[in-house]
Amino acid sequence: MAPIFRWGFMGLVLTLIYIPILVLVVNSFNASKYGIKWGGFTFKWYEKFWNNDGLMTAALNSLTVSIVAASVATVIGTLAAVALHRYQFKGKALLSSMVFVSMLTPEIVMAISLLIVFMALGIKLGFISLVIGHITFCLPFVIVAVYSRLKGFDMKMLEAARDLGASESSIFWKIILPLALPAIASGWLLSFTLSLDDVIVSAFVTGPGYEILPLKVYSMVRVGVSPEVNAISTILLVVSLVLVVISQLLLREDK
Amino acid sequence: MKKWLALAAALLISGCSDKSETQAPAETTAATPAATEAPAPATGPQKVVIYNWTEYIPAAVLEQFTKETGIEVEYATYESNEAMYAKIKLMEGKGYDIAVPSTFYVEKMRKEGLIQPIKKDLLANYGNLDANMMNKPYDPNNDFSVPYLWGATSIAINNKDVDASKITKWADLWKPEYAGKLMIMDDVRDNFYVGLRVAGFQNNSTSEDEIKAAYEKLKALWPSIKVINSDSPKTPLIQGNVSIGAIWNGEAYMAQQEMEDLQYIYPEEGAVLWVDSFVIPKGAANVENAHKFIDFMLRAESAKAAIEELGYAAPNTAGIALLDEALRNNKTVFPAAEDIAKGSFHQDLGDTVLVYEKYWELLKAGQ
Repeated sequence: MAPIFRWGFMGLVLTLIYIPILVLVVNSFNASKYGIKWGGFTFKWYEKFWNNDGLMTAALNSLTVSIVAASVATVIGTLAAVALHRYQFKGKALLSSMVFVSMLTPEIVMAISLLIVFMALGIKLGFISLVIGHITFCLPFVIVAVYSRLKGFDMKMLEAARDLGASESSIFWKIILPLALPAIASGWLLSFTLSLDDVIVSAFVTGPGYEILPLKVYSMVRVGVSPEVNAISTILLVVSLVLVVISQLLLREDK
Repeated sequence: MKKWLALAAALLISGCSDKSETQAPAETTAATPAATEAPAPATGPQKVVIYNWTEYIPAAVLEQFTKETGIEVEYATYESNEAMYAKIKLMEGKGYDIAVPSTFYVEKMRKEGLIQPIKKDLLANYGNLDANMMNKPYDPNNDFSVPYLWGATSIAINNKDVDASKITKWADLWKPEYAGKLMIMDDVRDNFYVGLRVAGFQNNSTSEDEIKAAYEKLKALWPSIKVINSDSPKTPLIQGNVSIGAIWNGEAYMAQQEMEDLQYIYPEEGAVLWVDSFVIPKGAANVENAHKFIDFMLRAESAKAAIEELGYAAPNTAGIALLDEALRNNKTVFPAAEDIAKGSFHQDLGDTVLVYEKYWELLKAGQ
């Protein structure tokens, strides 16, 4: 009985998650515009997307911003998590609770405060402001992911390393980093996803010269979302899948 | 909800900036040197920055504009009027040369000094505009806005499921036989327009009692509603999930291309009318180019291209004359004069929106 329930339940969850995605992928090859019935197989939407300069640029911009923001957030976030874990300093409790607060802050509040800061500092809205904004909201997620992994460590390992004469930097590179790698990778992926589909913060901190995909898609409501969006989503899905597979492979080699 | 938050935040901040108004002169003098430097980039490529909905201007028209004038178009997008307003407010009208607010957002931005007067003498094609869509309450005399496209929110039905002759007014939607077949827009003002009209009041009411009465009306309708959709309201109709829906006429026109059985009805109490207009924010850097662009959009050919591609009407008499007869006589896109006369626009109601919002949240929470 038990295995039936287990598989049945797992199957149900997976179906719920993947059916909509599957429909979207299938529809991206559907010649019928509204996807009500199957109108024949076509690459037409991919072609249209390919020829739609605005959407292409926006998609590439989105990928650039997400990769840069996720990478920077991961580096800063990992270092911050290590600091929070290893060292005692004044205001540590305050700092770690503030990380949680910033995760819970409504996005719109963060968006508007960022815009005000950029305006006050005279930073031109565009790529730079967008990346800074995205790093800001990704950072706490990386810190939390890496920090909880570090918390599960046996601290004696680090003490033993120090006993044997390892320097601080070799402790970091040879012990902490390899052990935290899965969490760092998942922090990166999480940041990448958050950044890639963010609308609210991006709407406020981007400038006219730098358009990104989610904003463009959201803004299509006035004229109706076109099937090209199915095509873009499928491409982005493939990109994300490739990234996940790569990260899994990298982690496996480390074992 | 998200839209609402953006608006609330902007209101909050505008409250703060009002207090700091005394500092404003200092800022303007500080800004003057920058302003005098501004013509310097004119030696580089000329540009105009447009803040608009995605693909709300045909790409071919934009290309033609750049080809003729050498002015590059930078096109930025927003996903709601609230977001556009909030951003322009926060940036003090700088950064964008043209924005395209709907109906009463023109009024709101005008009252708050976020937009600048239009120099009509720079617009050679101004005469193409249809006088019926000018001088509306949100901008008497059209000193600050030039209408681009207009449309209506009204009733679309599927002829196969519903007898069109039985629906002539909004109140008909309350009939029990339509229970579970209705779709409405996710828009507080549009829905309260219907509620107020059916309850026998004017649509831009500021009286809490009337709004409450409209709320009671809508509450009675609530169990009949199957779908609330503003993202792509034509889809549930085409897919057959609902038989009756309050949708934009442009959406209905596009749906008609897919399904012949879709009929669009302008009810007796009047449809919600809206106009999307070009405005020039106060701090625009390329005012002259903005005028050139607006003038280009007023050309008959540009208006024709916009109507054909987007399915909304441009109030451009010369452009309409160029359309083929079937489209020109399409009552969905171009409602009859008496239907236009019955309809009305949303107005800026200041803080009363909070009352509407309160009752809208109650409705959505099912109370």
